[in-house]
Amino acid sequence: MSEVSLDNVTKRFDSTVAVNDVSIDIDDGEVMGIVGPSGCGKTTALRLVAGFETVSEGTVRYDGEDVTHIPPENRNVGLVFQSYALFNNMTVLQNVTFGPKMHDVGKEERRDRACELLELLDIEELADRNPKTLSGGQQQRVGLARALAIEPHILLLDEPMTGLDAKLKQTLRQELGQLLDDLEVTTLYVTHDQEQAMSMCDRIAVMNDGHLEQIGTPSEIYEQPANEFVAGFIGTANLLEVTIEDEQVSFGFTELDAPGPQRVDGTATVMIRPDDVRVGEGPVSVEITNLFYQGEHIQATGLLPDGQKLTLRLDRSLGDVTTGDSLSIAFDPDDIHVIESTR
Amino acid sequence: MFDLYRRLSGALGRSSGNDNASGNEARTDGGVVSDRSVPEPGSESDPGPLARVGAAVDRRLGSDFLESSLFWLPPFLLIALFVYGAIIWNLLISLTDYRGFANAPDYGNLDFEMYTRALADPGFIDAAVNTLILLVAFTGATLAVGLLLAILIDRGIRFENAFRTIYLLPMSLSFVVTAQFWLWMYNFNNGIVNLLLGTVGIGPISFLGDQTIVLWAVIFALMWQFSGYAMVVYLAGLRAIPTEHYEAAQVDGASTLKMYWRVIIPQLKGATISAAVVLMVFGMKAFDFLYSLVGGYRPPNGADILATKMVREAYANLNWAYGAAIAIVLFGMALAVIGPYLVYEYRRNNL
Repeated sequence: MSEVSLDNVTKRFDSTVAVNDVSIDIDDGEVMGIVGPSGCGKTTALRLVAGFETVSEGTVRYDGEDVTHIPPENRNVGLVFQSYALFNNMTVLQNVTFGPKMHDVGKEERRDRACELLELLDIEELADRNPKTLSGGQQQRVGLARALAIEPHILLLDEPMTGLDAKLKQTLRQELGQLLDDLEVTTLYVTHDQEQAMSMCDRIAVMNDGHLEQIGTPSEIYEQPANEFVAGFIGTANLLEVTIEDEQVSFGFTELDAPGPQRVDGTATVMIRPDDVRVGEGPVSVEITNLFYQGEHIQATGLLPDGQKLTLRLDRSLGDVTTGDSLSIAFDPDDIHVIESTR
Repeated sequence: MFDLYRRLSGALGRSSGNDNASGNEARTDGGVVSDRSVPEPGSESDPGPLARVGAAVDRRLGSDFLESSLFWLPPFLLIALFVYGAIIWNLLISLTDYRGFANAPDYGNLDFEMYTRALADPGFIDAAVNTLILLVAFTGATLAVGLLLAILIDRGIRFENAFRTIYLLPMSLSFVVTAQFWLWMYNFNNGIVNLLLGTVGIGPISFLGDQTIVLWAVIFALMWQFSGYAMVVYLAGLRAIPTEHYEAAQVDGASTLKMYWRVIIPQLKGATISAAVVLMVFGMKAFDFLYSLVGGYRPPNGADILATKMVREAYANLNWAYGAAIAIVLFGMALAVIGPYLVYEYRRNNL
């Protein structure tokens, strides 16, 4: 049974539809990510799950039970805020024991539970500190401990890495991902950072303009995007206009076998990821117009024979490539993905 | 004072240390160049004895001490004379037996007679107790009402600005107006309060005549006037608390009452302290209100406070020395309120 589900949920603010007919089922112990650009409705979706916003249409369920009209204080959700929102009038330990105290957990038990969590998160030495004196990373852990202390139905994370520096983000991403896996707590992780979502979540829901564009595992979303928006939002994508006829994909300058049977017949768009373009061999020639050195690799933009742009990933071992050079490229049928939806 | 001067000169872009070494360096004080610094070696001009004394003073007390004294010295002297001088003079008078303008005070025989007299005077003890009750009850009730109003307004009600102005308006009235207004409100025969109570079968009550009630009636009127002030201070405090703190308390399972009691109100400590200090000072100055209420130095029985007794003893009874002693007690009470506040602010680096 799904632990938490949104069934055809719509949320309107006056004339604006923030969340439009969205259905998401989050399995027990699953880490579900919601990604999308600013204003796509992902935070509103999280606030609907928490109960801070009332649903205009549809149902929110925990363990099959309708909680649509239950206020947040009675929903038993753990929430880690973007700003962490730690109570500055309490110590770290008091922050963590506050939730259990509100749930009438006995003094001894809530203290033990809090100490256990602080130990798990490796911040037991901070127990008596004031949250104001902690670093961003430490505050995030305290926020997480506070959210977990009430043993929530679902853990909600609202962009918890915003405001941290890049290196710390990378470390915390691994640690948090591991922790969520170990704890097996049902989690909804909202972020605009698709890399974070890809590395930490079991499944990802991509939202745009209030709609749910696609829901799937990170590899499904990356390799088989449902539409051009998803292809463009998750990672870098080359979208090329092609004609498909008799299981043959015609680019105008080369032809390939279609990757499996196709539903589309006629004009279509295919997606090729830059890392799937083989450089240095093949029948197609690309004229390099731009080069961006990115440390681990070089990202290049080239012009295909028909004038369409193609983004490539060049290995540094390729040697000196300069703008104006021509490179031979190839791609396999398995590496192209035909986008069926026009959205 | 010197500390203030140092900070001021710091703010004006001048170094407070000896900046002789800086010689002719570019300055950021708008082109004001001191000619009192030690002349460059080999300089032709003779500074003269006055300039040498000036330079010596500057070296000891910081650069431009003499020049800047033009700006700070007059107010310094005026305040020293008319505020602190008057306090010290008042203290001296309280140690004499001075009784009016006929004779000059006799400073040759100073003692604490007026203070021992005060302790033996039931009128003084009553006034002191009333002052304490007024301070505590007025401050406490005003803070509580102000906090309640601030919370209600902060919860996104309609016409918020209009309500805020309405609640704050009484504070802009003078004590004289408020006193006259409440004199009508509390009128035994036709006062609105008694008319309203009459509709539910209570009263009429002699609010200003019954000495067990009158102090509380005065406290209520003062609270009406100043709860708007407390509301504004609290509202500013509430607005500084991020929405996430309310939401975090909610998801943690706190009811609205517990959320305010355990999370929000404790974060208003700073607002409470600053509002309480201002209200207590207002409370001690309630003389104007009581004077206007009866149009004389003798407030209704049961509502005499130290401020009214002090003025009455000095001006009506011509017991100048006794009035001065009461003033010193009142001054001590004000210090007891403001002193800890200044220490608190100093510890928070706000001073």
